[in-house]
Amino acid sequence: MAARHYTTERTVSSGQTEEDGAEQDSNDSDRESASSFSSSDYSDDLEPEWLDDIQKNGELFYLELSEGEEEAALAQAAANQGVSTNHVRFSEKEAEIITEQNKKQRCGSRAKGEPTLKRLARILRRKRRPSQRRGGGKDGGKDNSALSSPPTSILKNQPGQRQGVTIQQQQLKEVCVYLNPKRLGGSSTPLSDSGGLLEVLLGVVHRPSWSRGQVDPAVVRQEERLTVHGLIPNSPAIKCGQILIGDVLVAVDDVDVTSENIERVLSCIPGPTQVKLTLETVALVDGSSASDTSSVRKTKASPPVSQLVRLLWGEDTAELQMSIGHIPHIVMYLSLKLDSASPQEEEEILYQYPVSEASSQLKGVRGIFLTLCDMLENVTGGRIISSSLLLGKHLVHVSYWKESNNLLVIGLPAERVPLLYLQTVVGDVVRTLKVMYGSLDSAFCKVDHAPRLDHFFCLFFQQLIQPSRLREGSLAPPTDVSGTLFLQGLPAVRWLTLPPEIKMEVDTVLSDFESSDFGEMSEDFFGLRRLYVILGSCLFYKSYLIANHLPKEDLLDVCLYCQHYCLLPLASEQRVGQLVIWREVFPQQRANGNSTAAPGYDQPQGRHFLLIVGLRHFMQCVLLEAGGCASPALGSPGPDCVYVDQVKATLLQLEALEAGIEERLNAPPAPCLSCADWFLPAATARDRLDSLASSSPVFSKLVKGSSAGSRGRSLFGEKARRSSPQRSLSDSGSEGQMDAGSGSGSSMAPGLSPHSTPDSARKLGGRRDSLGSGGSDGSGGSGGLFKIPRMKHPNPFYLGTLKKTLTERETEEMYNTMKLTSGAENTLFHYVLMETVQGIFIAPTHREVAQLSGSIHPQLIRNFHHCCLSIRAAFQQSLPARGRRAADRPQGGGWGLGPVKEHGVLFQCKPENWTDQRKPAPTMTYWVIGRMLLEPVPQEFYVCFHDSVAEVPVEMAFRLSFGLAL
Amino acid sequence: MMMLQDGSTQLLCLTASSGVPLFTRGASKQLPFSVIGSLNGVHMFGGGQGVVLSCCETEDGGKVVWRVFHDSVMLIAVAAGGQGGAGRSSSSSSKEVEARLQRLLENVWSCMVLVLGQDELANVRNVERLKRDLRSCFGLIDQLLEDRHEGILGNLTHCADSLLPPNPALLQDAVQGFAQAADSEFGCLVVHGRIAAATEKWWRLAPQEVVLLSALMRFLSASGSSSCDYPVFLPHGSPTVAHRLLRFHLLPGADVCVLCGPTPSLHRAESGLVVRFWTPLVETLRDCLAVGERCLPGSVSLRPDVLALLLINRETRRSVSCVRTSTNHPPGHPPLPSKTRCWELLKLFYIFSTTRYFTQEETLCVSPEERAQRGNTEDFVLGFSHQPLQCYLVSEECKSYGLQTPQHQLFLLIPLSVPTFALRTVATQTLSDIVTATGF
Repeated sequence: MAARHYTTERTVSSGQTEEDGAEQDSNDSDRESASSFSSSDYSDDLEPEWLDDIQKNGELFYLELSEGEEEAALAQAAANQGVSTNHVRFSEKEAEIITEQNKKQRCGSRAKGEPTLKRLARILRRKRRPSQRRGGGKDGGKDNSALSSPPTSILKNQPGQRQGVTIQQQQLKEVCVYLNPKRLGGSSTPLSDSGGLLEVLLGVVHRPSWSRGQVDPAVVRQEERLTVHGLIPNSPAIKCGQILIGDVLVAVDDVDVTSENIERVLSCIPGPTQVKLTLETVALVDGSSASDTSSVRKTKASPPVSQLVRLLWGEDTAELQMSIGHIPHIVMYLSLKLDSASPQEEEEILYQYPVSEASSQLKGVRGIFLTLCDMLENVTGGRIISSSLLLGKHLVHVSYWKESNNLLVIGLPAERVPLLYLQTVVGDVVRTLKVMYGSLDSAFCKVDHAPRLDHFFCLFFQQLIQPSRLREGSLAPPTDVSGTLFLQGLPAVRWLTLPPEIKMEVDTVLSDFESSDFGEMSEDFFGLRRLYVILGSCLFYKSYLIANHLPKEDLLDVCLYCQHYCLLPLASEQRVGQLVIWREVFPQQRANGNSTAAPGYDQPQGRHFLLIVGLRHFMQCVLLEAGGCASPALGSPGPDCVYVDQVKATLLQLEALEAGIEERLNAPPAPCLSCADWFLPAATARDRLDSLASSSPVFSKLVKGSSAGSRGRSLFGEKARRSSPQRSLSDSGSEGQMDAGSGSGSSMAPGLSPHSTPDSARKLGGRRDSLGSGGSDGSGGSGGLFKIPRMKHPNPFYLGTLKKTLTERETEEMYNTMKLTSGAENTLFHYVLMETVQGIFIAPTHREVAQLSGSIHPQLIRNFHHCCLSIRAAFQQSLPARGRRAADRPQGGGWGLGPVKEHGVLFQCKPENWTDQRKPAPTMTYWVIGRMLLEPVPQEFYVCFHDSVAEVPVEMAFRLSFGLAL
Repeated sequence: MMMLQDGSTQLLCLTASSGVPLFTRGASKQLPFSVIGSLNGVHMFGGGQGVVLSCCETEDGGKVVWRVFHDSVMLIAVAAGGQGGAGRSSSSSSKEVEARLQRLLENVWSCMVLVLGQDELANVRNVERLKRDLRSCFGLIDQLLEDRHEGILGNLTHCADSLLPPNPALLQDAVQGFAQAADSEFGCLVVHGRIAAATEKWWRLAPQEVVLLSALMRFLSASGSSSCDYPVFLPHGSPTVAHRLLRFHLLPGADVCVLCGPTPSLHRAESGLVVRFWTPLVETLRDCLAVGERCLPGSVSLRPDVLALLLINRETRRSVSCVRTSTNHPPGHPPLPSKTRCWELLKLFYIFSTTRYFTQEETLCVSPEERAQRGNTEDFVLGFSHQPLQCYLVSEECKSYGLQTPQHQLFLLIPLSVPTFALRTVATQTLSDIVTATGF
């Protein structure tokens, strides 16, 4: 039943995509085509595809990856790729052909297009939760259509089909796959109608011949060879990438199998294990079947869906969880109430995750946590915050969070989360939970929340304990644990400064949306009260916040949610086809902060809903309020299509600005950055630069990117090489040189310095732009496109091109002077500036960092972040409690050293694998300095620079924050 | 309502196997027995489940640290948080408190071994007798707990507090000769509680033992007797066989001691040797006493903008430290911290730097399992991919600068009036001044 259901949708969508492809050929960018481009079959469907995913309580988490997986890879490599071009799906076409030839045959094999994967997964999930099926009538209708429309297939080799062209050779191959029968536990699917274990466990679809109607029913029970007719997405079979449709399964672990005994053999697998499959395969030797093989290869070559996405889809958590089962970690929600008459065991555990050996050990000692929590408050005069335990060799930090009569206990391995930062991490989780559920009690004490909490904490632990595993298979750079901890722990969101004209347009579009003045949503239209008031929204582009119309605390709430579900990195990897999230939220400021409101003003007591819509790189988060001005919400309403559509429309409109934003991302960094490797002496540096110039994709990307970029590259490529020996001279001297005041860099002639070249490149690029007609307007083509759909009335604040070029020149000027460090050469490596009031921070973009590449530099940045953890912890201890994100706990007691304003650490690095025995390894020293400013605006500033010039961090922070505003 | 006073620390000692309380020290009011029982109970319960509880932290900087030594003695330190006012190192951040308490437990255990020997502690046969015997440690333990001696940082750094005399060669010869005459290779001269000269072998003792013996000397000389003969076990060198520590009072503030076997008798040494070796050197000793708490001879001219300093020689495991009372304080600047506060800040800054950036090398005296037990004070340091060399801190009271070279560690307090970018110059110059003048 479910399988048939699937085929229906499959057919519809395949036809649709074909149409889309044709449409995209024309490559126009008006709204209609853009929308049909962005999602496969959305525009023509009466109901949006996420409708089926809405849960009983109205929540929705719908994520669909973009179709162009391979394209995504290319787009990552190519710098300035705007809207990706039309994309032909091989499998679709193939499917079409076969369908024509094969119309009368009933076969259930499956295609493996990327969004289809998702759709199938969705259906599989629905299968698992039969209770959530919606309206039986609709299903019936679909069934009918399923019968009437022919199914598709991409059978690689249908016997008798192409024998003229293909010469087949039978070969045996052995494939090892990892099977986990435990995963079946969750699914309540009866194994009868489907392919049984073969399908469920292994993921191989085999349709017995009788069901295909080819063979006489009389011979139904005969033994039959196990031909692979299809593969189930995300199954072990498809993951190994070596089992092809058309192969014949001959043996499992050297036991010969047929359709007769396969179920028995598979059912003998007791637990998760690796199994050797022997398959008879067909080798194609004829060239004329090239399209055939290419299609297969294509399917195989597409990178696997990253674990993260699968986790978000709610699949396959068991395996991931098992891989960290040996690392002790746990979350428990314990009741402190002692009920003497309680007969049940473990009654005090209200919630617990995960269930593994190491965590059960922690669970076993929950008595310790309860006792300490109860007792220590009386002894030392403060609630318990954390404990450190030693489990065998693992040191575990346990954090406590007491709420009313219950206690939340989270245990984390010390090597992942230093004690210094444990409280920030746990404080953030608690706040996220409160945003999502209102309070810890309401989150943990409802039984039906358990699966969702399992998912929540699975994400939490996976991100902390094995972040690299989550990202594997995707193109993201290797993760930096300290960096993630530090940046996510900041009570701020990463901000991308945009050129003013783009910024203004983005803001205008957002404001237009927020005014809710569009036809269907206006109150006049229907004469009804509107459903929701839009409180504000914020817009992310590739994980950077580019516009925010939310109050700071709300922004932080929203951002915490996004961070927890990894939505930001997801959007930056060009993989989101469509993302729709809807849920009720409890913004912390609004929930308990009414005292801060102005006198005479009461915040309306409404319910709040968070709507997140993502399309490609853009993601918009909207905070809605029901009650108050809008009509009160009853029950648990699901997402309203009108609002979702409006956000989508806004995003589509914003896509026109993408070129401009990309240009900003590709622009040379401002302030200019230096790469640590440039400061290390000649031999290594030269080798590295040579190899970089020839091989690095980043550099080649730069060449492609823009003329300014290429000029910059050739400039610093050569110069760095030429002058690096000089650099080494002055640097090796700095070890013995005692006086910091006289910087070694000042002795160098300013013109020769390699490190100011990015600056000059910017100048060149800037001049070219301002001389050329229209600047970014022309190159991006943004303005014109942008105005067509939305801006019907001229904006009174829009002063025309004259003014625009003027401001552009001014900003160019400003950027040119943006060299943070003093002295002749640029010694700045990295920086983070946080505006506490606005809740944003700026740091060099990922791309700027990637451009610097080098071997030492990534190390340096990791080190920088690790050091920032310590610096910020020192600042935190001197801050009053209010300013902290985990503001729920009163923070008594100053710190012994007193409030810290500034803190710096000097580091020394050496190149790795220094082989030269005669000379000592060259060294490079650099500062990491943190500075907390309270005047004129509260800021925290972290910077990393070479130690040749003494810097005054306050001045640097001022220079950097100049012109930075929301 | 809390049971411990703000900022006070209480030390609990129990037998690890049966949980019988052996003693409690510190804090005016002893914790109720039920609390002591629970604190011990949670640790024991965890031990049964394969989970070793090592420390706990409460909101306002309160801390509890557990440690079991030789599977026989359990030591628990409970530090209350809160604003300790002018009290000792109260109200510091958790990490600093933890490092301090860990050090305290180690020192207390070593001190118990020093007095009673490891055998008696590791194999408890008669609890009542042990309780009685342990009373002899109380003086020393209280001294460790209260940390009364201003300017003695050895308990924390595990580097011997030293005093650099104006003419080290003379004193060195005298100590050497005196020890030899007493049939010993271990001899040392203590001035103002700091080691002014010692035989080469004395420095070969484990740093922790040197520190502990210095503490014992201070304790003994505070008793006022002119000489004494005290049996000691060396916690690392000979934890089971006692040696004799002979201590002689030379001048007020100056003591000399030797570590020796059965001979000579205290009387013979006092009457024969002390006079012979030390009478000619009285003037030299007076010069040495004149150095006082500055610890540095007059030949070293410190820059005027150094408030306090702690210099550690990482190879010899010795340290000098001093706090200067400034005379010419420019008006209009914020007031300088008091002397007591300076010592406290110096200690805190030392712990701050060493728990986060600089490593303390104690490979000599720390067994691997011990390292695992206190791993959490050091795990952060290991997270750096590059080596930290220097660090500074600007707070509201003063600026602090720390510097580490392969040979030395230097920690400085500098007034706020000195610009931040000049700190490094001040530190490097101070280091080179001291090292060139004294060869420390």
